[in-house]
Amino acid sequence: MNPGLLQIRLRWDDPATGERREPILSVPIALGREFAQMPASLREQRVARIMLDSGQVSRFHALIEQDSVGVAIADQNSSNGTFVNGTRQTRSFLTNGDTIQIGPYQISVFLDIQSAATPIGDSTILFHSETDLPVPDATSTPSESTPTAPAARSNFPPPFFQAQQVSMRDLMDTELMVHEFDYAAIGAGLGSFIWVDLLRLCGARLNQVVAIGMEPQPYARYQRLCQNSQIPLHERLRSNSDSCPDNIWGFPSYAFRESWHSFRQGQIGSALKYLWQVFAEPTLAETYTPRSGSVFASIDREAQRIGWQQIFRYGRVLSIRQTNDGRYAIAYSRSTASHREHAFIVSRYLHLATGYPAIQFLPDLQAYREKTGDFKSVVNAYEEHEHVYQKLEQYGGTVLIRGRGIVASRIVQRIYEARKKNPHISLLHLMRSPKPQGNKFGKAQRQVKHHYEFQPFNWPKACWGGEFRAVLESADPQQRSRLLADWGGTTTADRHAWQRIVQEGLNQGWYKIAFGEVERVEQDGQKGTITYIQEKDFKGKTQLEADFIIDATGLDAKVNANPLLEDLVTHYDLPINALGRLSVANDFELVEMRSSGQGRVYAAGAATLGGPHAAVDSFLGLQYAALAAVDSLVSTRAPNLRYLNGLTSLTQWLRWVTNQAPNQP
Amino acid sequence: MTPTLLGRWQSRLLLLATVGLLVTLPFSMGWIVLGSYPVFLWVLGYVAVFGIGWDLLYDYLQKFRWDRDWPAAFQLLAGIWEAIFILLLFKTIGLPGIARTTPIGWFALHYSLIWLAVFTMSQTLMRVVFLRSRFRGGQWL
Ligand SMILES: Cc1cc2nc3c(=O)[nH]c(=O)nc-3n(C[C@H](O)[C@H](O)[C@H](O)COP(=O)(O)OP(=O)(O)OC[C@H]3O[C@@H](n4cnc5c(N)ncnc54)[C@H](O)[C@@H]3O)c2cc1C
Repeated sequence: MNPGLLQIRLRWDDPATGERREPILSVPIALGREFAQMPASLREQRVARIMLDSGQVSRFHALIEQDSVGVAIADQNSSNGTFVNGTRQTRSFLTNGDTIQIGPYQISVFLDIQSAATPIGDSTILFHSETDLPVPDATSTPSESTPTAPAARSNFPPPFFQAQQVSMRDLMDTELMVHEFDYAAIGAGLGSFIWVDLLRLCGARLNQVVAIGMEPQPYARYQRLCQNSQIPLHERLRSNSDSCPDNIWGFPSYAFRESWHSFRQGQIGSALKYLWQVFAEPTLAETYTPRSGSVFASIDREAQRIGWQQIFRYGRVLSIRQTNDGRYAIAYSRSTASHREHAFIVSRYLHLATGYPAIQFLPDLQAYREKTGDFKSVVNAYEEHEHVYQKLEQYGGTVLIRGRGIVASRIVQRIYEARKKNPHISLLHLMRSPKPQGNKFGKAQRQVKHHYEFQPFNWPKACWGGEFRAVLESADPQQRSRLLADWGGTTTADRHAWQRIVQEGLNQGWYKIAFGEVERVEQDGQKGTITYIQEKDFKGKTQLEADFIIDATGLDAKVNANPLLEDLVTHYDLPINALGRLSVANDFELVEMRSSGQGRVYAAGAATLGGPHAAVDSFLGLQYAALAAVDSLVSTRAPNLRYLNGLTSLTQWLRWVTNQAPNQP
Repeated sequence: MTPTLLGRWQSRLLLLATVGLLVTLPFSMGWIVLGSYPVFLWVLGYVAVFGIGWDLLYDYLQKFRWDRDWPAAFQLLAGIWEAIFILLLFKTIGLPGIARTTPIGWFALHYSLIWLAVFTMSQTLMRVVFLRSRFRGGQWL
């Protein structure tokens, strides 16, 4: 055999985004942080060079080579070492199914490149364009939501939207409704609400602002995703006490409010407990987090106070274009099942907060669904899947969970509760590989227990307002992706209750953790599903039988999964950052959307990950982005906005406390 | 809390110069016990000056924490330690402006009130008046 032609497949999930990478490469393969530091050729063979961006990875970290015996990996004197199946090695032979850990990267090795192939195809679940529910079958999305092919079904947006800029005359000539505003929020979800709230505090009048979205409550989609992923109203979120979407100051925080509430009910013990938690967390006490119901109620109150119901406008935004007078034209549909209606809004300032473009779905599970049409046994944690628990409570059965983040923890808890009704339920937790040690950064390391990696929130705390926030903001794009890889990765919260459940389940045997790379999932008549695991060393294949499979792996997707953003990006040739998201400036502006006039476009939320802020997809991160954007608007003298200085901030806070509207309507 | 070094320094100086002073005045002007007691102003000054140094240490320790955070409880421990440090200094080698005979009880009362006032303000009014400071590790300038 010609040794130069040996190919192997490597597979890993990007630690910052969770996105899967799966190249097939010819050996030798160099792994490292800097392309130029890795050899281009070795003994006259071309070397495949793979860049792993992390401060924990050395410039030239390891080399995968073939010799007369087999394929081996050799550590190149790296600072943090190369781990094979959890053990540090300087040189080690690789067998099929081995896992290499280099810094935050967990890389699976497949010597048999055919069998491990992940089914190709777009494995995301989109949000339905009319109901906003997750649509299981990607192909069934109505074409109207695809602005790139507007002519397919209707002539809206009109043909003149193909141009770079549109004119007011063009819009008027369509004889459709055209409304003008100064400030328009696209999405009308939490990010929009937080931005609009701040605009109101800074002086914007009700008739200057519009928020276009599909549901009147700003938390509608968020609440649905929470409920599907097993956070009912009484359960606690994964959110800091002072991350308050209804209150930019973070004071009084949710812990204070809950403590006060308990105190008035005479529950002195609970009242003190919440205060102790925020005083001592996370080292001496478990981190306080608010109940989802309390957060929704607080948003309802604030929505009422700032006049959200007058600002909200039902509509699905199809396309956005610059106007020739320096503003932006928004083409949107107000169509419902029974009637068709289209209209335009023209606004000088825009804020895009359209949330997750799509839900990620494991490719092998997507393939299962496409092949079998069975959408009941294999579900995504963010889809409605109550039937799974009902069936389990009634008949018992086996559930297989994939993923080890916070959603997996919640599902483990839900199964634990179901077991109280029916003890014949068992849980198989399939993880790709063992997690011997947590991410490292500088002098610190993240904690790991039972192969779960712990962190109070989805990013290290200092990403919101501490040292890491400043570090990331001043970093260049290349450093940013490296920092995000080091701080990112799948984690769950270190809650006593969850650890007790895991320990109890492991002891009693109804909870098992298994490791392996899934090769394929098949249907098995009455029995349910069979997951075929790629076994190490070709020793045979493990089969895992389960009645249900729950994918708890991910939510994010690149911006091009959202048709509106995709249209904007291609039409205006907007830059995309290293993580495939919108490239925004430090004040969250999409600078390339500026035209001749005063107009500005800002963005917030998951679509801006990889930019100046890590925690963009969180309440506090959305507040951070809103503050940056509104301060930037104030400095461009946007109409009626005043800078929130010490005094106006205090006045607005007093209005918040006394529940008075922020200013004149 | 996730303070940065600059944020620590700025909040310390701001809060000591405002609420710290407000708490100190009744002591030093003799509104509590008749007479004039500049020693309390000296104490306030030492808390500020030594604190600049202690903040360097706290900031260094913070780097060993994955979350780069600083629980409020640590702030209390730091406060107790800083008080003991000043107390030891003026009782042993002596500190200019603070007589060795200064009663520990008065020192402890005054110091505790300063600490409490500063801590309370940093968690309440500071957030309201300097709303951007919590996104900047406590920096308000
Ligand atoms: C289960 C779960 C739990 C979470 N828990 C927390 C937590 O505890 N703490 C925390 O800080 N963060 C949490 N987050 C993260 C984050 O705060 C929320 O996801 C938040 O809702 C993000 O706000 P957003 O505005 O970006 O998106 P969303 O709130 O989802 O809003 C986006 C809106 O845009 C609309 N939209 C999209 N495209 C269009 C279009 N073309 N036309 C019109 N409308 C459109 C959508 O319908 C949606 O309503 C959680 C997320 C999830 C999924």
